[in-house]
Amino acid sequence: MSFQAKGLQAWLLQRITGAFMALYILYVSGVMFTTEQMTYQVWYAWLAHPLMNTASGLFFLQLAIHAWVGMRDIVLDYIANDGLRLLTLIAISFFLVTCSLALLRILFSLSWSI
Amino acid sequence: MNSLDKQIEKRPKNLNLLSVKFPMSAVMSVGHRAAGILLFLLLPYLLYLLQLSLNNETDFLLVKEQLQSPMAKFFSLIIIWSLVHHFLAGIRYFLLDIDVGIEKHLAQKTAVFVMAGSFIIVILFALFFFQ
Repeated sequence: MSFQAKGLQAWLLQRITGAFMALYILYVSGVMFTTEQMTYQVWYAWLAHPLMNTASGLFFLQLAIHAWVGMRDIVLDYIANDGLRLLTLIAISFFLVTCSLALLRILFSLSWSI
Repeated sequence: MNSLDKQIEKRPKNLNLLSVKFPMSAVMSVGHRAAGILLFLLLPYLLYLLQLSLNNETDFLLVKEQLQSPMAKFFSLIIIWSLVHHFLAGIRYFLLDIDVGIEKHLAQKTAVFVMAGSFIIVILFALFFFQ
């Protein structure tokens, strides 16, 4: 039995990240539905703003954690071989970390002085 | 594998999925999982679109124009459906975690709500953005 409560940790992380991501998604959906004309300037300014920029970075980090827990569940469900499990989990974590770094690079490359 | 596992392996298995009657919650659950996998696999492509759209005005207009094509609209609807379905099913599971709607009749109803709700929201999205 694990006294670190890893199963509980994973469950909790998945729910908490899900809840926060839901708020972000509702906000973004609201903006999408209420913006008459999305031009390049509006789009860039919106995403470059420090608050939106940070929130988007947070969103993606939460997405990485949420996706990791989900994909780990799938691997545990469908892959019985230990070596194959390890390989896929390594591949998935590598994939998620790389995507997170790419997204952070995109967000950091936006300057706020437009 | 021990001998008990080997004995279990030898038992007959019915793998004909067409012979099994699936309740709505099962269909919804598979959709939730499939949607999650699809969104996971699409991450690099979506990041690429994001980067393009922020690069400069020309690329932004290029992305916008590409998204107008019928094929792009069709795939966008699939992606939106995945997100909405995963979102609503996630809320249903969240509520089940705190024991809301765990009675059998309620659980079946909420599963239908999720599927119908996803469909309706995707239709609304299509009507709103794709005139």
